[in-house]
Amino acid sequence: MKTNNVAIILNAHLPYVRHLEYPRFLEEDWLYEAISETYLPLLRMLKRLSADRIPFKLTLSMSPTLCCMLSDEPLQQRFVNYLQMHRELGEKEVRRTETEQPQYAEMARWYLSRYEQNLEDFEACGHNILPAFRKLEEEGVVELITTCATHAYLPLYQEYPEAINAQIELGIQSHLSSFGHISRGFWLPECGYFPGIEQFLKSKGITWFQTASQSMLLSPDKVENGTFRPVRCPDGLVAFPRDYETTSLVWSNTSGYPCDHRYREFYRDIGYDLPMDYIGPYVEEDGNRIFTGFKYCAITGNGNEKRPYSLADGRRLAKEHAANFLYNVASKSNRIAKTIGKDPLSTLCFDCELFGHWWFEGLDWLEEVIRQSACEECTVKFITPTQFLEDDPELETARPAFSSWGQGGFSSTWLDGSNAWIYRHIHQSIERMEELALRFPDQMSLKRRFLNQAAREILLAMDSDWPFIMYHKSGGQYAQKRLEEHLQNFNVVYSNMCKNAVNTEWLVKAEKKDVIFKDIDYNIFSPKRQ
Amino acid sequence: MVLINLDLLSDAELRYIARQEGFSDWETLDREDLTEQLQEKYEEEDEGGQPSRDTISQKRFLTSLTDFGTPGKKSVQLPGVEELPKTYNETSIHLLLRDPQWAYAYWSISPATRGEITGCVQGADPELLLCVVMRDPESGETSSFDIRVGIEDEQWNINLPRIGGVYSVSLLWRKSDGGNITLAKSKPIETFPSYWDDHYDEISMDKNKFNVMFSSVISNEGEVADNAMLRSVARIISKGALET
Repeated sequence: MKTNNVAIILNAHLPYVRHLEYPRFLEEDWLYEAISETYLPLLRMLKRLSADRIPFKLTLSMSPTLCCMLSDEPLQQRFVNYLQMHRELGEKEVRRTETEQPQYAEMARWYLSRYEQNLEDFEACGHNILPAFRKLEEEGVVELITTCATHAYLPLYQEYPEAINAQIELGIQSHLSSFGHISRGFWLPECGYFPGIEQFLKSKGITWFQTASQSMLLSPDKVENGTFRPVRCPDGLVAFPRDYETTSLVWSNTSGYPCDHRYREFYRDIGYDLPMDYIGPYVEEDGNRIFTGFKYCAITGNGNEKRPYSLADGRRLAKEHAANFLYNVASKSNRIAKTIGKDPLSTLCFDCELFGHWWFEGLDWLEEVIRQSACEECTVKFITPTQFLEDDPELETARPAFSSWGQGGFSSTWLDGSNAWIYRHIHQSIERMEELALRFPDQMSLKRRFLNQAAREILLAMDSDWPFIMYHKSGGQYAQKRLEEHLQNFNVVYSNMCKNAVNTEWLVKAEKKDVIFKDIDYNIFSPKRQ
Repeated sequence: MVLINLDLLSDAELRYIARQEGFSDWETLDREDLTEQLQEKYEEEDEGGQPSRDTISQKRFLTSLTDFGTPGKKSVQLPGVEELPKTYNETSIHLLLRDPQWAYAYWSISPATRGEITGCVQGADPELLLCVVMRDPESGETSSFDIRVGIEDEQWNINLPRIGGVYSVSLLWRKSDGGNITLAKSKPIETFPSYWDDHYDEISMDKNKFNVMFSSVISNEGEVADNAMLRSVARIISKGALET
């Protein structure tokens, strides 16, 4: 009898980055690396598990910005170019390692075969992987949910209900357009919860969302079951708190499974190690060194000397860690069940890109966890929050506490000395957008397009990734530039509309630049609609 | 962005970073010197208000985005675009809740109002105040305190004295006759006390309840989740047994 329920929620999200004005733009590689190292391998894994009729179900939140990029034809073609370039590098690497560094040849061959497989799979799905995820949802192995339109960290926009509403409504519309159904669950970006957010979600038909672990212990209400059962909020929505302890088995930066010294090292990459006359064509044209994805060493430990990575060791270890994980989950759940007198539910939330991209063996581990859970003796069952709620379980009623999964557990990651300045401008733009929506409601033709573009610019400026990158400043200026550009672009519309004019040259170029939310209606920002 | 633990990098990577950081002797420094000098440079930056790289860099699997650090490359600017203004032509104040004990206020003063204020004081520093008001949502009682700010200030971190209050902040101009003029007032923000703040004994005297409440917010190594309030509750209830 499987009584220890676990809900894994994967958050697949990347900020909207599309720079067709350059032959190659490095920040676009965020998308290509994620497709190549996480999304395509995840699809293959889910298909295998589905074909083998392994009973399980995961929740996958796919952000609207990610879905827009995944279905964008020019970006799809540029991803093919990326794969072809890496396949070429793989062929060179196989030849080089076989003669110069035979200890790395196995991994070079593996990388080459992965790029070849990715090319084949990407061609087979017509360059768009979204329908493949939709098909897996129909097969019952995954539930797809949505999140904010541009992954905005909502607690810092409490003063602007129209903006929150726009983020949620467009997130739901985008999901409907990508996957053909209304999302029942909603991924709160960065687990950012504030009291009152339920009202926005409820009005859009959402039934549940996830929160950070401390949202229960710091609740103003008495929560008897800690994070081991979801709670029903006073207005009926259900909050699924994250199980920090079980999550940290994987995600702890000091003791999580990915830290094992036998796993592959992320930071050692031929992009830094090989001479420029060899690696030059595969890194940026001006000679900047970057990660190429070809990494041959095990973590080993601190220092320059690293052992060659062994695929077999990595896979064996992933299997052992999967067994250890299930043992830990089962023993803890059994203990908790006795105390609370009910079947517990552990909700585990991860960024999807952890698996495969950051933690090279992460998807092997996940597949092993799911396969091993299918054996009769294992009491762990992988379900979704929606499935959990289908049995109409008895739930406590409580108000979660303001919280996030960021450093410190509240808003300090997105609001500190490095990034606080942005809110003055974003908030001002939101107020001005509301003003425009009130002054110029239901415009047609050119003005409508102009105002719609203004709404896009504000939403893109609200992405939580920009302040996050500023907070973890490491020299790059991209986040700041992007944020400023969106706000500056908004100001073009505002200043022109104040003169009742349209800058058509700007409009045509701006529409071509950010091809996102094509059905957006700027009236969504009108306070009259609330 | 990859936040790099310097110890994990190869010599080639360290040299490359040193070159990017502007070290003239990047080619000749050995590994130890490279690590030490980069560390020093980052610590200097950290003192300037940036988050500690050292702390962050230990997060091996901090899932984020690779910082490519593409110098000078930005998307093509569209026609008619102008730099962002430093401030806006209005007088307003906003209050954002950073955590239950701190809020961040930012404000702007329109040129007209600024002119009026500076004109009145004729060269002296005008007396501007942030008046922080706390209302107890249960009793309705209010209390307040003032923070003196300068005419050039435009933001402030405000310590919230009590969790469980509704806070707002007003920007005041105190005139020479002692009278206050309210220039702007923020919308309120609310903080909520944890139930357990006043019910420690219910957990501390019940082992099972303690396990249920805390076992999911403590890692296998006994480390409480990164949250000051949570750690405070844990420390009190466990009488210091939990490592926070």
